[in-house]
Amino acid sequence: MNGRWLAGKTGAALLTLLFVLVFNFFLFRVMGDPTSQFTRLPGATTEEIAELKSDYGLDKPLTGQFADYMGDTLRLDLGISQRSREPVWEEILDALPWTLLLVGTGTVLATLIGSWMGVIAATRRGGKADDGLLGFSLFTYASPEYWLGIILILVFAVAIPILPAGLQMTPGVEFSSFFAEALDVAEHMILPVTAMTLMLLGQYFLIMRSSMVDVLTEDFITVKRAIGLPWDRVVRRHAVPNALLPLVTLSAIQFGAVAGGAITIETIFSWPGLGELNFTAINDKDFPVLQGTFLVFSVGVILANLLADILYFFLDPRVQSK
Amino acid sequence: MRTRGFAAIAAALIMAAALAVVTLPAGAQDSTDSTSDGETSSLKIGWAQDPQTLNPFVALNEENYNVWSLNYDLLVNFSPEDLSPAPGIAESWEISDDKRTVTFKLDPEKVWSDGVPVTSKDVKYSLEVLGGDGALFAGYTSGIESIKTPDDETVVITTKRPDARLVGGLFVYIIPEHIWGKESVDDLTGSFQPELPLVGSGPYMVTEFSRGRIIRMERNPEWNGPEPGFDEVQYIKYGNTDGVERALRLGEVDMILEVEASSFERLSGDPNIEAITAPSPAYTQLAFNLCSEQDCPDAQFNPAVQDPAVRQAVGYAVDRERINEIAAQGTSFVGHGVLPSYYRDFYEVPEQDYPYEPETASQILDDAGWQDNGDEPRTKDGETLSFDLMARSESPYTQQVAKLIAEQAAEVGIEFNISVVSDDKLTEATVRQVDGKPAPEFDTFLWGWGGDPYDPSFILSVLTGDEIGGLSDAFWSNPEYDALYDEQAGTFDVEERKQQIQEMVALAQEDLPYLVITYDPELQAYRTDRVSGIERVCPSGEDGDLICAQVSYEPLLDIGPADGSSDDGDGGGSGGIIVAIIAAVAVIAAGLFFWRRRSSEGDEPLEYEE
Repeated sequence: MNGRWLAGKTGAALLTLLFVLVFNFFLFRVMGDPTSQFTRLPGATTEEIAELKSDYGLDKPLTGQFADYMGDTLRLDLGISQRSREPVWEEILDALPWTLLLVGTGTVLATLIGSWMGVIAATRRGGKADDGLLGFSLFTYASPEYWLGIILILVFAVAIPILPAGLQMTPGVEFSSFFAEALDVAEHMILPVTAMTLMLLGQYFLIMRSSMVDVLTEDFITVKRAIGLPWDRVVRRHAVPNALLPLVTLSAIQFGAVAGGAITIETIFSWPGLGELNFTAINDKDFPVLQGTFLVFSVGVILANLLADILYFFLDPRVQSK
Repeated sequence: MRTRGFAAIAAALIMAAALAVVTLPAGAQDSTDSTSDGETSSLKIGWAQDPQTLNPFVALNEENYNVWSLNYDLLVNFSPEDLSPAPGIAESWEISDDKRTVTFKLDPEKVWSDGVPVTSKDVKYSLEVLGGDGALFAGYTSGIESIKTPDDETVVITTKRPDARLVGGLFVYIIPEHIWGKESVDDLTGSFQPELPLVGSGPYMVTEFSRGRIIRMERNPEWNGPEPGFDEVQYIKYGNTDGVERALRLGEVDMILEVEASSFERLSGDPNIEAITAPSPAYTQLAFNLCSEQDCPDAQFNPAVQDPAVRQAVGYAVDRERINEIAAQGTSFVGHGVLPSYYRDFYEVPEQDYPYEPETASQILDDAGWQDNGDEPRTKDGETLSFDLMARSESPYTQQVAKLIAEQAAEVGIEFNISVVSDDKLTEATVRQVDGKPAPEFDTFLWGWGGDPYDPSFILSVLTGDEIGGLSDAFWSNPEYDALYDEQAGTFDVEERKQQIQEMVALAQEDLPYLVITYDPELQAYRTDRVSGIERVCPSGEDGDLICAQVSYEPLLDIGPADGSSDDGDGGGSGGIIVAIIAAVAVIAAGLFFWRRRSSEGDEPLEYEE
């Protein structure tokens, strides 16, 4: 039954989520005692360290800490950052839009450009365009994103200084209007978004290309051709929509890679999103923030996969009929 | 149908992104309101690590001092000339004959940036509450017995025994009681965040704090000292040190206060940038595990490390000059004992300095009965001169130093097995306890300590016996050193105190719990085309830094924008560029589209699989 299928998928997602929650807790507990660094604070006495421990609930036994953690997380209370003393949620909400902006634009561009390139390559299989695009995609796919980022900076910000090398907007400037501010952000977005797009492009291209090649050799395409439909129309109306299905899965699976890439790209470009928040938290050993960002990333990946399953359900009649 | 479905998904994604754009500047807007007409001159300082909170009760980032030192005064400030005690909140002070009481006269002109006068109550509050509970400030006031405030302009501090830290070593900022006193200590040490502008007595005050982005400090309207040259000081956060240094080269920022040793030379090569290296109150040391049987019954280490002859041999075998040249690219300063040369008033090169003399090292080992085994490590009575050496994964410098030490020590028959570990792991190894007693688990490691400006008590304290179970990580205990430590802490006379400190340094050099490798440098750089009036300070001369960062705001009063410098970064062009780029992309896209249309209109062959 359809409902059962959907419920099964949702259940699996919830189970994964639960596992992530539990794993998250223990992951950060095996990384060493977070208070050990306090002992190197000038002037911190043993009592003060004990007090800090009790402040963070670190003096309780592990089971007690675990119960606290699960309860708080389920109530969506991610705790207070050890360093900034701001609620972790606030820090995440502060950074999230920037990441969505970067990742969203990058993903949209990569999907559009990648699949478009895929269609071109597949329809000209073996041709020069195919070879060229294939080579280009394999190159960007194989290049680490930090390398791409640094090259982009070196070329477009240092050698030919036409674009800002980092940050999300010109710092310390009072903008005359909202438009000026948006324009400034857009300008700062170009390089990181390009890096993001290049990082993701290759996979979309490869999947789209092979999917198109498959579809183009199917009988119904031959039939459409035979009844006299123009080639262009066949490709656009009949081949592309059928070839798009694997792309949906890919977008979801890619979300994990995107989150990872965001950390590197944001750090290189000083982009103040979740990735950078994560990076700073690692440097500061700010465990509540780390736990929070991990949770957000994991929930994102799980939700994206669930969404892909659901989309598939509507897009692919074969799933519904099972 | 399906094409439209895809288009809808794409459109939704684009809209989500657009929505994000819309919400973003709105979030940032509250920070960019108010102030000025674009003629503001600002000193832009780039950094890769920014404070996570401005609340001095809980802040743990060292970078906070960069901000606080411009926003607040200490009871006694430091002179940028030579770091000696200088008027701060207190205009003058008098030390009683028994040296246990110091009477401070406050500057009656001092006013908080909100117009409220600074009084003795603020001082008492700050020393008692911030000095008692501030994460980075606890400990400085431990010697204080009582703080009396006979009137608004007098503070009388009595200590349990003479404590020279009262003048020049009381590193607790004076904060306004009428603001902080309203909150309970529980709140202050909890999630309290101070309101902006951050009310203080320094020449600048924080007016914008956007974590991970920018800290903007504007002039304190009530400031009655000499007028600062810049209207604003901005600390701008970048994702990493590479980003900061690039920003300096591109002119996005005017100054960096922490340059990486590896890029020091490259920055120096830029004609518009001046990069400087100055000694800091910190050192990097090779520490030995000297925990005694009675202090640490369960400690784990190679007992050979506790033979003084072995440590002295290491001292002679290690070429610290070469280490500085190679590992620090010559930017650091060769160490000579446990008191950094930064502490000018008290520093002298110790007599026993362990110059690089591998022959002496071999001789010492021979004399002590360590048998030379050629390429193998020396041995004696079943013990082998083979030690674990831990370097920090967080510090590439210590890893390089470790390699060089191992290489050089091998020449005299001492083996070091290097392992690179995280700071957490290293701390675990040193603070490990069994049955409530320290049980360190290491032979040797490389790490460092940093001290306070001017007063050397803290950096000398880490080797006292009292710190075993506390900060001590060599677990060295020498009653003579401890007695001298207490004595110097109560000596106000600089010459006399220097003698005592020199004796302490000599004791540590003799026994060598730490072989101090280098005195860490302060590497800084600024753009000469943007900032004028910089003279090296704290102390003045070639040992000084650019603006006496984290210590004194005074140098900032003397510098200003360079002639002809504009506030625009070279990097960030105008919006025209982006419009041009969008246009170019559109043209290319349109071109491709038509090309594709034309080519696809042709009658293409069907493909058949064979």
